[in-house]
Amino acid sequence: MSETVMEIRDLGLEFQLGRTLADVIQRRPGRVVNALNGVSLALKKGETLGVVGESGCGKSTLARCIVRLYTPQRGRITYHGQDIFAEDARADRSYNRRVQMMFQDPYSSLNPRMTTGQILSEALRVHQMRPESEIDARVAELLELVRLPQDAAGKLPHEFSGGQRQRIAIARALAVEPEVLIADELVSALDVSVQAQVVNLLLELQERLNLTILFVAHDLRLVRHVSNRVAVIYLGRIVEIGDSETLFARPAHPYSQALLSAAPSLDPDDKGSAIRLQGELPSPMDVPPGCPFHVRCPHASEICKQQEPRLTAHEGRGEVACHHVKEINTHA
Amino acid sequence: MTESQPILEVSNLCTTFRRGDRVLPAVRDVSFSLGKGEVLGLVGESGSGKSVTLRSILGLSRRYGEVSGAVRWMGQDIAALPERRLRRIRGREIAMIFQEPMTSLNPLLTVGMQLTETLKAHTDLGRKARRDRAIEMLDHVGIPAAASRLQDYPHQFSGGMRQRVMIAIALAASPKLLLADEPTTALDVTIQAQILDLILSLADELEMGVILVTHDLGVVAQTCQNVAVMYAGRIVETGPVRQVLRSPRHPYTEGLMRSVPQDVPPRTQLYSVPGTPPSLDALPPGCAFAARCANRTAACLDARPALAPVGGQRSLACFNPARAAQGDAA
Repeated sequence: MSETVMEIRDLGLEFQLGRTLADVIQRRPGRVVNALNGVSLALKKGETLGVVGESGCGKSTLARCIVRLYTPQRGRITYHGQDIFAEDARADRSYNRRVQMMFQDPYSSLNPRMTTGQILSEALRVHQMRPESEIDARVAELLELVRLPQDAAGKLPHEFSGGQRQRIAIARALAVEPEVLIADELVSALDVSVQAQVVNLLLELQERLNLTILFVAHDLRLVRHVSNRVAVIYLGRIVEIGDSETLFARPAHPYSQALLSAAPSLDPDDKGSAIRLQGELPSPMDVPPGCPFHVRCPHASEICKQQEPRLTAHEGRGEVACHHVKEINTHA
Repeated sequence: MTESQPILEVSNLCTTFRRGDRVLPAVRDVSFSLGKGEVLGLVGESGSGKSVTLRSILGLSRRYGEVSGAVRWMGQDIAALPERRLRRIRGREIAMIFQEPMTSLNPLLTVGMQLTETLKAHTDLGRKARRDRAIEMLDHVGIPAAASRLQDYPHQFSGGMRQRVMIAIALAASPKLLLADEPTTALDVTIQAQILDLILSLADELEMGVILVTHDLGVVAQTCQNVAVMYAGRIVETGPVRQVLRSPRHPYTEGLMRSVPQDVPPRTQLYSVPGTPPSLDALPPGCAFAARCANRTAACLDARPALAPVGGQRSLACFNPARAAQGDAA
């Protein structure tokens, strides 16, 4: 794991909401949702980077920026050193081919009127992956790859279960031989027993095809299982990023600590040190000044209200954005 | 923990839906009982009949399907009760909270109105007293500045706050039993922990029984005393949470436990139950799990194992269960 495939720097994205009548009357500008506030991270070849956080924290927005579904207002994303939002890059279809996204909802992300075979061959044709004569063979190969029966090619999405549909989505992404896969809550809609099947498949394919995966999910146990590194996002900012095992075993940021301790353990006697967070995620329309977590943080002090902490490296851990990280973790 | 008379006894509950000429037996022969103040978890995958069981207890499924069997509530069979009599039990003695805090509140009525409406239907409180009680309830479930939020509409609350409002409404008439259908599935883990804590502390305080439907085994481990595992409309294993989760004996429970990525080396293959659950209109004559089961024998394909006690307050519906762990039997 050495070469950096993708680098994200200070990514910022705001969604402008329409001005309401009240805004017009009071001569206020329309409100703004701060979805991403300076996210920086690097994806290394062959790794799985897990992204976790509460709903509305910007995980999916980040994923969508990477595949150019959204254009960020600030910052840049480079892929093998090339800015993916540069003028000439925008027309570049090969980026779309090499970075593929898989979506959360297996019921709405497949065209209900296209058979699996059509879905897969469309991807092959658009990117001219194979000459026309070899397309059928490649479709068969892809079905084999995700362990779907060969007669699946002639069936419509509604004939499949949720887990099978996610396999089709994986096959579609892999059809164009990508280097990077963006999995946005890929298995969240599935039951545990089926979830395990899809995760196993993903891990095995990653190994075989040397894929780099950005795994966005809210299921912490699952993220821990599949990821090499993990980024914890809070209100559009990364608050902690580091090696998966270290981060899960000894989270350093108070938010990571609370988030991880909130996940219920399977052992009835392990009530955990359960740090209960007060209150809820503030609205991204109204991000608190200073450290965005200070309103819920048990360790917050004056400085947290005024100054936003920066993501800095800590020995034996990853990078943490917290003013009090040293005190918190020596007491613990 | 509950030696006293059970407050709820469900026996041989069956709920069958018909769609055209398809017969869908969603709940088959479900029996269990619940003691005062007991928290029972009902787990299973989607389509296993957990929610329908819950709805059938309150008579909410009978408009859509055929319900048979008995639901004895404080000694009275409420499954046979006419709608009008049932209405006096619903909300007053048995309350229910649903999964979707977004859709189960009326968007056109203020939260205060929805709360006082319940109080008006189930208590003799006067207008002023109802308002006071409503504020007290909102306060109780941890909504800040409760008095000023009575005139707010559901859309002005966040998901977690809406679920709190739902709980406040459900508990307004001090019910003896709370049916909670995936109350935290739509919420984030940090909020989930808050809501579960709230339900538990209220259950304790009001000596209220709770049936918690969920698919998250972690939630069951942390909140319930007893658990019933459902598969294809039946209870396949039941017993005290510690025993069932520590040493599951039904192969399905075992498979469920093992597919959760906990205490397994990272990035290794997870255990997964092969295959998928059978469709409800094509259930096999034998054990519904047989097709996916590693312990399957010829007997499993022909006959259906009944839920039978195996000692230590546990019951099991399996011909070839895993061996009991030591110190497990009564």
